[in-house]
Amino acid sequence: MDTETITNAKMSARNVSVFYGANKAIDDVSIDVSRENVTAFIGPSGCGKSTFLRTLNRMNDTIPSARVEGRIELDGEDIYGSGMDVVQLRARVGMVFQKPNPFPKSIFENVAYGPRIHGLAPNKAELETIVERSLKRAGLWDEVKDRLAESGTALSGGQQQRLCIARAIAVDPEVILMDEPCSALDPIATAKIEELIHELRGRYAIVIVTHNMQQAARVSQRTAFFHLGVLVEYGETTEIFTNPRQTRTKDYITGRYG
Amino acid sequence: MSDLAFPLDPTPTDWNDAAMQRRIRKRYTAERRFKLLGLAAVSLSAGFLAFLLITMLAKGLGGIDIGFLTGSDATDPAQVGIWGAFKGSLLTMIVTLGIAFPVGVLSAVYLEEYAPRNRWTDIIEVSINNLAAVPSIIFGLLGLAIFLNFMHLPRSAPIVGGLTLALMTMPVIVIAGRNAIKSVPPSIRDAALGIGASRIQVVSHHVLPLALPGILTGTIIGMARALGETAPLLMIGMRAFIASPPGGFTEPATALPVQIFLWSDEVSRGFVEKTSAAIIVLLAFLLAMNGLAIYLRNRFETRW
Repeated sequence: MDTETITNAKMSARNVSVFYGANKAIDDVSIDVSRENVTAFIGPSGCGKSTFLRTLNRMNDTIPSARVEGRIELDGEDIYGSGMDVVQLRARVGMVFQKPNPFPKSIFENVAYGPRIHGLAPNKAELETIVERSLKRAGLWDEVKDRLAESGTALSGGQQQRLCIARAIAVDPEVILMDEPCSALDPIATAKIEELIHELRGRYAIVIVTHNMQQAARVSQRTAFFHLGVLVEYGETTEIFTNPRQTRTKDYITGRYG
Repeated sequence: MSDLAFPLDPTPTDWNDAAMQRRIRKRYTAERRFKLLGLAAVSLSAGFLAFLLITMLAKGLGGIDIGFLTGSDATDPAQVGIWGAFKGSLLTMIVTLGIAFPVGVLSAVYLEEYAPRNRWTDIIEVSINNLAAVPSIIFGLLGLAIFLNFMHLPRSAPIVGGLTLALMTMPVIVIAGRNAIKSVPPSIRDAALGIGASRIQVVSHHVLPLALPGILTGTIIGMARALGETAPLLMIGMRAFIASPPGGFTEPATALPVQIFLWSDEVSRGFVEKTSAAIIVLLAFLLAMNGLAIYLRNRFETRW
């Protein structure tokens, strides 16, 4: 097993195991998430990469049978510790889901919702500024600036996903988790999201789960390969794809299974 | 040829074969038979409704005039009016809605969003489903025992009738509410949780507004059933002869279905017309409520 550590990590997991009832979905994973790079989790379906991603902002809490063991830190603070407010944690560690899931409200309201519930904007003008900035960062502003009052669900799939990214950015998170954000999108929309990930890199720590290896190679600087709930290999993306140390990694990226 | 894993079928299917044609004809007959049966079932229920409407309108329309719509019960059929019973029903329904809606919706939200899944919540779930099927006369007896004999609330009053009917309507609202809440896609909850909404914010900002049309539909169906209930109201004394409309929730009153029941029992010929007239008023009230339900549902429905 690979436990390469990196200095000055944004998030770090140590000996994390996740159970669904008696079923062990993640087995003793230790990994560091880089502050300024994009980290990709790859692996075949059911390998636990999404499950692990969801432990990073405690979305697994919503599943009654799920249980997490081990320690996960955000800037050195234990996110499963008693001092951690899960609501605040999810504002700091935002999430973009597999299927675009805008609220059935206006585009403006979709983005404004987060800042509003966290009290980030003292007045309407401020809120409008946040919405505009978030939509600009998500590369959606030019397409929707004249129809902010229209429903977010009326947008195309790719636009919806960028709206969801804008919604996540609007609360000014430190980390953005993306759970296969392009799996429901066509190649052009996918290219736009990937471009966006490049632009967001550095400002936010980004973790992306993908089952598309080319995508991992394109967008990430570090890649973790999961298989059957175990972290097989973790390192520089170029290393993983050109010179994997483990045969299982090599077999997977060369298409032997997956 | 022989090294093919699946050799081609030597004789292709003959769709013009006589046996095949018979099969196809049989299928079409079955289709027609089913359509006819369905049509018969629909016309049977629609026929009864039409019969009820026509006979009631024919018998009762002549009995409806200003005096009937503004008056109260009397001993002389020429003097009776429906306003007293109508107001009694209205006050009763206000109490029922005021109690059953908030309690029902809160229960539904708690059971769906907060309660852990265990044996206790299973028992509660089964109990609520059973409660919805309990005969109304039993709720009447329950109301009599609790509200009159134990809490000593005024007899024959809309407040007691409303509370009793609320007990009956609540399970209907809980069941409809839970189904409506269940049908809100989980992705919306994830989305809200994912940007740091608390559980109560997820429920009040997203789940409830999206479930509202379904909850309202269930509520109105429950209310319509409560409006037509007679038996529980008889048990708590809303069958008294009341010659003036009730002034408030605690004054003696009667309700529309009870009034119909009382008048239909009268020997005097003049009451036949008045009974039909009262039925027309009750049906109009029901139709108005259902119309409101449809309006509200369309109003709040979210298009995805």
